[in-house]
Amino acid sequence: MAKSRHVTIDAEELAGRSYPYQHDISLVEDIDLVAATPGPDLNWLEDVHLLTEDGVPAVFDRYSNSFLKIHFPIPEGREDEVARKVLIAHLQAGNSYGIQLKRKHAKFPQRALGPWTADSEVVGSHWEPPALSGWEPAGGH
Amino acid sequence: MAQVVGERRIRYDARGLVEPDAEAPKTSKIEDGRAVFDATGYSTRRVNLEIRWLLVDQGVRDITVLNPGAKHSIGVAILERCRLRFEGSLGYFGLGLIDGPEAEVAGRVGWSVAENMMAGVVVIDKNAGSLAGAALRGGDLVVRGDVGARTGIDQKGGTIIVGGNAGLMTGFMMQRGRQIICGNVGPGLGDSMYDGAIYVAGKVESLGVDCVEAELTDTDEEMLKGKLTAYGIEHPGSFRKFECGRKLWNYDSLEPNERKLVL
Repeated sequence: MAKSRHVTIDAEELAGRSYPYQHDISLVEDIDLVAATPGPDLNWLEDVHLLTEDGVPAVFDRYSNSFLKIHFPIPEGREDEVARKVLIAHLQAGNSYGIQLKRKHAKFPQRALGPWTADSEVVGSHWEPPALSGWEPAGGH
Repeated sequence: MAQVVGERRIRYDARGLVEPDAEAPKTSKIEDGRAVFDATGYSTRRVNLEIRWLLVDQGVRDITVLNPGAKHSIGVAILERCRLRFEGSLGYFGLGLIDGPEAEVAGRVGWSVAENMMAGVVVIDKNAGSLAGAALRGGDLVVRGDVGARTGIDQKGGTIIVGGNAGLMTGFMMQRGRQIICGNVGPGLGDSMYDGAIYVAGKVESLGVDCVEAELTDTDEEMLKGKLTAYGIEHPGSFRKFECGRKLWNYDSLEPNERKLVL
């Protein structure tokens, strides 16, 4: 008999905490989604929708491959809009785990908050390849 | 760290960078936050380094590249909001792996333009080769002319708009997103697509495996008008909608998260 398997891909588990904008809709109401995205419309956010994770409303953060749960009641008819605003708040605040990884692993100079905010810090300027202590490349390579 | 390999003795480093010691030419003319760079005579690597230098070090958000010379892999891996204009054609893999730019190419492009774009807008004024928007994840790719085969292969999001005709196997293995083809399409439309929608205004030579015609809804019409108006493309009058027939859907029961994301 096959065992059931549950794989958790939860932003709260990655960060060890949740964030205020996951609990309070007033913290995301003022976000301008068109201004936060390139082009004349919602651009990449057109493909972002409200989903559920562990029975809780959640939005998927593709930059950390994890779900960001939304713990406040979502007004009917605004599901996708609220999900997109929570995600943008998460990215603009620099709380996505993928952004944290950039500081260590980015290989080229780039802004930490990428396309979500202007003029964030530059990371990746001094990337060094990881070295395995005591390892030497084989001859001929 | 740099290695020298191959018949042509290409130098590359651990990141896979060719010309690892290359430096940005720093010859752009910068004025009022805008930059103009003449790429004549510079290698792909140095053109890309110049763009990165302007964006990251100089804080320029509006860049015009003159004489790109149809070089390959120009304007790749740009991960911030900016405006880019190329006065000329690009070769293959132009503007790939980007996240945020709004780019315009005043010419043609080779295959795989805007492949893996995460977000942004790429507008091609003339024709594009095959595999335009391959593995597109988000954003809008607009080709005002014709495109080759397998447009949007493995597309996972975003919108591809083609003002002219599209070749064979358009939307091959498409998983999400939208394609708007204002002209005709070749054989095998939507072959093995898993999800997403393809809108065609012209003739469809034949449908691919598990691609079926669907009803065009008011929401679809609204989206089509919005996208075509936004990019100044004349509405051809009427569209037909094509989507997955769902006969090839076979999801492993042990992968509920993957299934949820694909859908």
